Amino acid sequence: MQNLLTLAPEMGLTVLAFLVLMADVVMKGRSGRTLIYLAIVAAGLGLGLLALAYNDPAHYQGVGTLWAVDPLSLFFKVLTLGATLIVLVLTLEYRPPEEHAHPGSYAALLLFAAVGMMLLVSATDLLLIFLALELVSLSSFILVGFERGNKKSTEGAIKYYLIGAFSSAILVYGISLFYGAAGTTRLVDLPQMLGGGAQPMFVLACLLITVGFGFKISMVPFHLWVPDAYEGAPAPITAFLSVAPKIAGLAVMLRVFTFLVPHASLDLTALFSVLAILTMTVGNLTAIFQNDVKRLLAYSSIAQAGYLLIGFVTGDTLGREGLLLYSLAYLFMNIGAFAVVIVVGNEEGYSLEAYDGLGRRNFGLALVMFLFLLSLAGIPPMAGFIGKFYLFAAAIKGKFYWLAVFGVLNSVVSVYYYMRIAYHMFFREPRTLEPAPVGPALFSTLALTTIAVLLIGLYPEPFLGAVALSAQFLPLPPLP
Amino acid sequence: MGILSVVIFSPLIAAIALLFLPKEKTSWIRGVGVAGTAVSCIASVFAFLAFDPGTTQMTSLSIQLTEKLVWIPTFNIHYYLGVDGLSLPLVILTTFLCLLAAIYSCGIELRVKEFFFWYLILEVGMVGVFCALDLFLFYMFWEITLVPMYFLIGVWGGPKKEYAAIKFFLFTLFGSVFMLLGILAVYFASEPNSFDMIELMRYSGTWSREFQIIVFLGFYLGFAIKVPAFPFHTWLPLAHVEAPTPVSVILAAVLLKMGTYGLLRVSYGILPLGFEWFLPAFVLIAFINIVYGALCAMAQTDMKKMVAYSSINHMGYCMLGIAAVSATGFNGAMLQMINHGIITGALFMFVGVIYDRAHTRDIGAFGGLGAKLPVYAALMSLACFASLGLPGLSGFVSEFLCFLGAFKAWKLYTILSVSGLLVTAAFFLRMLQKVFLGPFNEKWAGLRDMNARELISVVPLCVLMVLFGVWPSFLIDIMNPTMTVFAGMFPGLFQGLR
Repeated sequence: MQNLLTLAPEMGLTVLAFLVLMADVVMKGRSGRTLIYLAIVAAGLGLGLLALAYNDPAHYQGVGTLWAVDPLSLFFKVLTLGATLIVLVLTLEYRPPEEHAHPGSYAALLLFAAVGMMLLVSATDLLLIFLALELVSLSSFILVGFERGNKKSTEGAIKYYLIGAFSSAILVYGISLFYGAAGTTRLVDLPQMLGGGAQPMFVLACLLITVGFGFKISMVPFHLWVPDAYEGAPAPITAFLSVAPKIAGLAVMLRVFTFLVPHASLDLTALFSVLAILTMTVGNLTAIFQNDVKRLLAYSSIAQAGYLLIGFVTGDTLGREGLLLYSLAYLFMNIGAFAVVIVVGNEEGYSLEAYDGLGRRNFGLALVMFLFLLSLAGIPPMAGFIGKFYLFAAAIKGKFYWLAVFGVLNSVVSVYYYMRIAYHMFFREPRTLEPAPVGPALFSTLALTTIAVLLIGLYPEPFLGAVALSAQFLPLPPLP
Repeated sequence: MGILSVVIFSPLIAAIALLFLPKEKTSWIRGVGVAGTAVSCIASVFAFLAFDPGTTQMTSLSIQLTEKLVWIPTFNIHYYLGVDGLSLPLVILTTFLCLLAAIYSCGIELRVKEFFFWYLILEVGMVGVFCALDLFLFYMFWEITLVPMYFLIGVWGGPKKEYAAIKFFLFTLFGSVFMLLGILAVYFASEPNSFDMIELMRYSGTWSREFQIIVFLGFYLGFAIKVPAFPFHTWLPLAHVEAPTPVSVILAAVLLKMGTYGLLRVSYGILPLGFEWFLPAFVLIAFINIVYGALCAMAQTDMKKMVAYSSINHMGYCMLGIAAVSATGFNGAMLQMINHGIITGALFMFVGVIYDRAHTRDIGAFGGLGAKLPVYAALMSLACFASLGLPGLSGFVSEFLCFLGAFKAWKLYTILSVSGLLVTAAFFLRMLQKVFLGPFNEKWAGLRDMNARELISVVPLCVLMVLFGVWPSFLIDIMNPTMTVFAGMFPGLFQGLR
């Protein structure tokens, strides 16, 4: 029972999410903003509980057979819930083509997805992993298709759903094989169960599980759903999908493949380094040809997942810290970029031409967008550079030289398409001199993300300290 | 806060101040912009006065005016600044040319506020590169120069500006990311892990040859693209030609020097075994730069393109001096960096002056301008003569020293490279003849001679060309002690050259 208390934030959030959902039924879709405010409060409360857990490790941390609440999982919980909170705030000023019918369901689904991700980053049992993953996925399918009148939204949702269901099936198949080979789905028992080397069935199981995870983090070659889903989804949901589930997926991969399944019994490093290289390269090379900003950022987020995988491949403390730091930086820079996309999208849509002369219309807005793009490209002195620096350092230290070389080459390629947006913003003539309106919610989001991106870039030390503290797993309990 | 921080960050303060000025007040903006560069320049003069060159008997580099603050202790990264005879002359060159080019920039009318903003940020990056003694800080400053340059070329440039801007950005970034990998490699190879350049110089003895060669190649890619060394020079003619005049001045006079500075400080200083291994190829590249650059310049009909290619040629002399690995060669290379900055900076301004009036840079379009624009003709001829190495002007001294140093080590290449001098003389004289002599082309009857703004930015450079031509020891005395120590730092290596 004591162990149950460590999941207090998840449980509280679930209750509040149900409240929001029921309120939506009672209100029959009226006063949608109130419900979103309610969801924001709920997410804020959840964050508060997590902060408590950070402060009082003795009380709130622990490892059980089903889940482990350790510094690493807490870090990712804060990140995913924080991303959800910001996305809810962004929704306040997002103007969809047609008014959303059930804003309460929308908010509740986002909260459910957040609960799913929080469970996911803690889970140490494959069944819980599967359940959490399904919770995230099912919520996201509906959210992508939320604009029912928009054909692209529906198309994206269908594609996402079909491929997602397919990947879930593969994951379940992998889990069943895993059970056959190891006799358990509890990962904490694994070292004892495996004994000597890995059997073929166990290897196959792990590969299939990797495929399942790969879909969630948009790892190449399992990324084909990404552009359509991202393009069709409402812009705040695209921001959400490009950050939160991806980070959570990487966190669970990190836990499973570098900690619970020890390298001694199964070493997939070579495979993962090839996949990391493929993910960055395919993402970047395809992004060059996009003319829709949401699609462009979709491919860019695939490439970003590739960089994050570097930290996962090296698997040592430095790599893990790099992954955490880059996730933090990525959260701010990508959501910041999407906040600008929402501002421009409300007025002019999502083509690159919508950004023509933005530097003349709103110089401040164009400047912060430019900072986010530089950060995504990894140019100093932005947060993204420090994150990449960390990841490449881990690669060099771990002697993954090819990984580092492909990483930096990809950074160069990415500059080309990020600068295409800068080109439209600063070099093209504006069609109107009317500045795009930025309301209080978007303004505060942009202020927060800009400050974070600059602060992490210029004075990273406090963040490095926090990351170093968080990059630890609690030791597994001794078996009875 | 030390004097070097003042030199680096006074332009940044001016840039931030600019953001608060309304963009209609162009005269205020120009004033703040010039003031920012002027403060930086004056501060660098103070740094010069406080600097003690030392003697040739020194046993180690004397790094002065140091500032060291802990920045990111997790990675042992420091905010570490300092200058010696290698960097101080380049710092002063940078601040001085930035001031003059800022004065010249007052002629720019389009989006003045943004122009000066990016211009000032660019200066921060360039000065920072020469002052930084921590590789991480060095890399930060190095990269900071990219973005302003992208905008300065892309917004205020010529007809193909967008293409030139992105090509410049991608080319230099391509080189510098490999430099980043090199920086990480030396960091992890040192014990305790360090980014301190001075500290790292002491480790070179403990690293294997293979390691140094691989890391050298990473750094070399970054530096060679900046220099630019053949075959990475293709971005240069495009960027120089498309950039607006003051930016071409900065590109040629300062930005290229970041490459040669890095070659000396990092490639030679930290990775001597790699440098030794690469030398035979390096001297060949220097030769190609000299001859190929000169021949390309000869083939141009566009004045600006011609000056741009002559830069490739002149940086070749500089590389030849470095390849000598002797005090004479290094002194020559350093002197050549300074002189090339002064002379080519002035030449780009002259080309800009005529382009602003005639809206063409075609050498064949002019004729007989000498009588019409006497001041312009006299000053530009002076700069051309300095550039082609006429004795008595500054270019001659540095080229002579480069050849002198290199002759001892690389006889054949030096002899062949002298032919570059001949070609340089040929294309400059041909241009002077076509533009200033011959029958007057009546089309240009309305041209006016140089105005005060242009004279203020160009005359100091012309004075320096003469001054350093007759009194080069003024400069050499500053750098000779450092260069002597530097050249003798690895007594066991480079045996074949001595």
